[in-house]
Amino acid sequence: MAERRKYKKRFCKYCEAKVDFMDYKDVAALRFSLSERYKIMPRRLTGNCKRHQDMIATVIKRARAAALVPYTVTRKTVVTAPFENLK
Amino acid sequence: MRNYENLVIVKPTLTAEEIQANISAIEEVITSNGGEIAARDAMGMRKLAYPLGKNERGYFHVIYYSVAPSAINEIERRFRINENLLRFVTIKYDTNREVTAWNQLVQKAQKKATQPAGEAKVEVEVEEVVIPAALEEDAE
Repeated sequence: MAERRKYKKRFCKYCEAKVDFMDYKDVAALRFSLSERYKIMPRRLTGNCKRHQDMIATVIKRARAAALVPYTVTRKTVVTAPFENLK
Repeated sequence: MRNYENLVIVKPTLTAEEIQANISAIEEVITSNGGEIAARDAMGMRKLAYPLGKNERGYFHVIYYSVAPSAINEIERRFRINENLLRFVTIKYDTNREVTAWNQLVQKAQKKATQPAGEAKVEVEVEEVVIPAALEEDAE
């Protein structure tokens, strides 16, 4: 038990909000399940349920294909103001 | 007939008229293949998350339509030929849940198309309210 858990296991936010469908064009809504480097956050950190994690994964991948969300963020391609086109 | 959604990104280097002409040509491709356009949503010029063929920006346009599934191949083939299209994303709305979501998205897009003037008015009103409040605070 030397290592402490960094994150607490939480309830599924999407179940709470009763999300039935996610739109890949709504980038602000995807922010919750993306890390700083725009990786898809694992379920153990976000607390999403399996069903909603599967949904958000496909939706994020669609948004990546549509150039709404970057695939990778490296030091060279640092986004100066991420989500600046959100308003 | 099945419900679909297409997001197309048009080259930003074109002039406004050329972009509009391109978009109407894209819609023509859909209608000529037996598609019925339900709604369209112009997201406008946006910064891309990553460069597409040395372009940093792009004109986003979303088209909601229903078409026979066999026509999608031909539509996508025509899109691939179009050099002014940086990227397109086709989404299928098949299950019951997805179809209801599609209907909601269509309604949202139609609302947005019919009342852009109303939104602008609201923004102006908000600004007018904010400014006197800020002045009062300054005075206090």
